[in-house]
Amino acid sequence: MQPAIEVQNLHKSFGELKAVDGASFNVPQGEIYSLLGPNGAGKTTTISMLSTLLRPDSGDALVMGHSIRKDPMGVKSVLGVVPQDIALYEDLSARENLTFWGKMYGLRGAALKQRVDEVLEIIGLTDRQKGRVSKFSGGMKRRVNIGVALLHKPKVIYMDEPTVGIDPQSRRSILDSVIALKNAGMTVLYTTHYMEEAQELSDQITIMDHGKLIASGTHDELVKIVGQMDRIRLTINAEGARVVTAWKSTPGVKQVTAEDGTLNLLVDDSNQVLPRLFDAATTSGVRITSVDIQLPNLEAVFLHLTGRALRD
Amino acid sequence: MKILDIAIKDLTRSFRSLFAVIFMFGVPLLVTGMFYLMFGGMANNDTGFNLPQTKVVVANLDEGGAGFQMDITSLPQGTSAESLGNLIVSVLQGEGLTDLMVVTLADSAEAARQAVDSQEAGVAVIIPADFSQTFSALEGQAVLEVYQDPTLTLGPAIIRSVLDQFMDGISGAKITVNSVLAHSQSSDPALIGQAVQQYMAVSAQAQSPDALVTSHAPDAAKQETSLLEQIIGPIMGGMMIFYAFFTGTSTAQTILKEDEEGTLPRLFTTPTSQSAILSGKFLAVFLTVLVQMVVLLILGRLIFQIAWGSLLPLALVTAGIIFAASSCGIFINSLLKSTKQGGVVFGAVLTMTGMLGMIKIFTMGMATGAALEIVPLFVPQGWAIRGLVQSMQGAPIGDVLLTSVALLAWSAAFFILGVWRFQKRYA
Repeated sequence: MQPAIEVQNLHKSFGELKAVDGASFNVPQGEIYSLLGPNGAGKTTTISMLSTLLRPDSGDALVMGHSIRKDPMGVKSVLGVVPQDIALYEDLSARENLTFWGKMYGLRGAALKQRVDEVLEIIGLTDRQKGRVSKFSGGMKRRVNIGVALLHKPKVIYMDEPTVGIDPQSRRSILDSVIALKNAGMTVLYTTHYMEEAQELSDQITIMDHGKLIASGTHDELVKIVGQMDRIRLTINAEGARVVTAWKSTPGVKQVTAEDGTLNLLVDDSNQVLPRLFDAATTSGVRITSVDIQLPNLEAVFLHLTGRALRD
Repeated sequence: MKILDIAIKDLTRSFRSLFAVIFMFGVPLLVTGMFYLMFGGMANNDTGFNLPQTKVVVANLDEGGAGFQMDITSLPQGTSAESLGNLIVSVLQGEGLTDLMVVTLADSAEAARQAVDSQEAGVAVIIPADFSQTFSALEGQAVLEVYQDPTLTLGPAIIRSVLDQFMDGISGAKITVNSVLAHSQSSDPALIGQAVQQYMAVSAQAQSPDALVTSHAPDAAKQETSLLEQIIGPIMGGMMIFYAFFTGTSTAQTILKEDEEGTLPRLFTTPTSQSAILSGKFLAVFLTVLVQMVVLLILGRLIFQIAWGSLLPLALVTAGIIFAASSCGIFINSLLKSTKQGGVVFGAVLTMTGMLGMIKIFTMGMATGAALEIVPLFVPQGWAIRGLVQSMQGAPIGDVLLTSVALLAWSAAFFILGVWRFQKRYA
């Protein structure tokens, strides 16, 4: 079976900035594929090129066999896009929005009405369909935003950070709907900077940073990159610089990074290393105010690969 | 079909905005209504136009001149005058002007000015003691003093106009008399007075109140030409054009707004061509201005009884205005990078070009001159109001057609440039 999306060496620069620098990956049909990376990593630029909004400087991509360069209309016809920011007409109702966008996807008459009813059901807003979007909560707007992309039953859906800035309940609802889309046979290309979301949803994950793909694979495959290292997150009552040097030379510590009074460490075994860290802190006159030990995860992978925390 | 869907969506959004509706319809009607009320149209049931009466106090101190003391001449309409001052008073008190002014007499100049200061009168006319004498002198220059309430505009302007017209008439006669006397080698004041007195008999007929403020019965072959239409029609037309250009520009701004809100990029991800999306947006601008113009034309007729002219010329001009206002909006927005620039640019460009194009409307026709005929034609609003006034005045269809073609030329230029820039931006 051909991949739903085949990305072939995509490049895009804005002036001196290389937003996407040679991206290549394949997304199998029926899977959830996540692009994970901090803000500015190049995820949205990649999505924009794959949805034909931006023309790549070089390279190409095929979406269900349609080239983004040679057959953009073919790409658009099989594609649903959920943009990062809510892109709806706030002075129209939920139903009016869906009806309008359905027409833009070529739906008409009874088929359009029926599909709008179905989508309202899917996003759980049947009883609020006549309400103006401007009166909706952030979570409800996000649901309509997703609903628009489902109207024409696309084979591939791009979701660009759909959970940014919403409450936990709405977030949960959206994550469930993404899984439901996969179960309905759709291919989902999902971008996020939330490690937990990528971990929960994805069949495959690609980590991006500064426009480059720095690692790809399943969650387990990626975590193996950092081996059995634990991640320790500590907060201290003083400047991190006073203790970083001491901790870097502590046996068992592989990596130390500091940000705003918080230090992230990759260590071989937290049980053995922690007492040494406390000793070094005491010697440096620094007091440790909190400790958070995490098992190997994508955040640790990103830290290991880039030397920075994912949320930098 | 998708073009129409996009246009209808934009129309729906436009007319759901209370602010937009007030701006499109409320403000032009309100401004015109204020002028309408100012001119007293609402208070009368008849379709004519009635100005409020102006209270005029006249201090006639004129002691007459050499010529005037010789005899008394009976003037038309039973008016008697033994001095120019008396003649002026008679003219102002004439039956033909009673609708416009109420004239009372004061004993002194000070009393007349005091009446204005205390707002018992709007205008004081002070005729100096030597008025007739100075006028009779060969080189004399008789001067009338008009003292007015500074808060009033229209009433004093009418009084001044009546006095100017009267004085222009008799000054013309004096020039003639002086020329005659110069040829007869005589400078006898009595002779001059006699000549002027004879002139007065003739002049008073010509300068009778009826002749000073002329009114003509409506011409059955033409549209109603009441003063109401002459004033309110162009004002309403001016407001309509002024706000149609604002509407065209603010509606076209939805292209930039949708771009910033993300709905335009999202539209570009649907299987809808870029040209269809932009065409839908442009169509929405035309339809919005069309609805605004048609509604305002109808409301102008219903509320202010404005006769816009025959259907064909009106349709030609209205189409020209709609295309010009819409295309201008598209062009202006194509020059902007973001909606943040819009407020300043719209305010400056549209206000300036609007005022330039309709300078005669904004000055209520008081400003005159050849430049004022030509300068408005440098902006599309000038052509727009020219066409509308032509339609209202029943100008020949050829004139209206020429104006409409000029408007369409403006439209074509704006549209081509605007579309080219937008296509380039979203290519």
